[in-house]
Amino acid sequence: MNTTTPSLCQIKSNHASHAWNKKKRNFLSEECELLRGDMDEVEEKSKDIINFTAEKLSVDEVSQLVISPLCGAISLFVGTTRNNFEGKKVISLEYEAYLPMADNEVRKICSDIRQKWPVKHIAVFHRLGLVPVSEASVIIAVSSAHRAASLEAVTYAIDTLKAKVPIWKKEIYEESSSWKRNKECFWASNN
Amino acid sequence: MVEVLYFAKSAEITGVRSETIYVPREIKALQLWKEIETRHPGLADVRNQVIFAVRQEYVELGDQLLLLQPGDEIAVIPPISGG
Repeated sequence: MNTTTPSLCQIKSNHASHAWNKKKRNFLSEECELLRGDMDEVEEKSKDIINFTAEKLSVDEVSQLVISPLCGAISLFVGTTRNNFEGKKVISLEYEAYLPMADNEVRKICSDIRQKWPVKHIAVFHRLGLVPVSEASVIIAVSSAHRAASLEAVTYAIDTLKAKVPIWKKEIYEESSSWKRNKECFWASNN
Repeated sequence: MVEVLYFAKSAEITGVRSETIYVPREIKALQLWKEIETRHPGLADVRNQVIFAVRQEYVELGDQLLLLQPGDEIAVIPPISGG
């Protein structure tokens, strides 16, 4: 949601018409939109939206969060639970996270992205707890004026998340389970 | 007095998610690990795969000298698998 700039709206309200007083709330936000349209210099603040949740993730919800009139591109990555691993049937993945640090590490990734690419908004949603087959465990959405930046930023985001963010998944099979290890993990070689 | 947090496989091995332990304020990372392993010998199985997070920054189990404050959080971090 774009936040209104109170001072600009007040300036306009000094010239308020009768109609404005009656429909205060709607008119107020419209006026601010008009003001923003008049002044190209009023920038829409860039957002990093990070969420860890046990609830089912929605691609629609996450992509809506990064929409911007300044952007012509939204790039998305969606990671979903696959039903097999080395011939075993996977029933579900189960995720846990070291939350304050995971949030912090994702913020660092957003900050890195902004140093490397001209992007507008970034959203990173990761699900915790059980994620059944075909459901999304992670959704990353990035908006940018032109597509190259957001496409590259999304790739960087998921690659770096897998290398650095303290989140773990356990594969649950029919008769057993196994803690997974990303090949991107920088401190443990695959034995 | 520091708070040790366990995650994933390490939490399964120790049977706890967190505990308070008493260690010297200045201690090398590997020495801290050995203190923890003494309390939970099963952790020897994962010694070569884990890393610490001290005040939410990664620290390898090596010679780095840690300067700990009371109440500091030390997390035992098995190989990660997010995403």
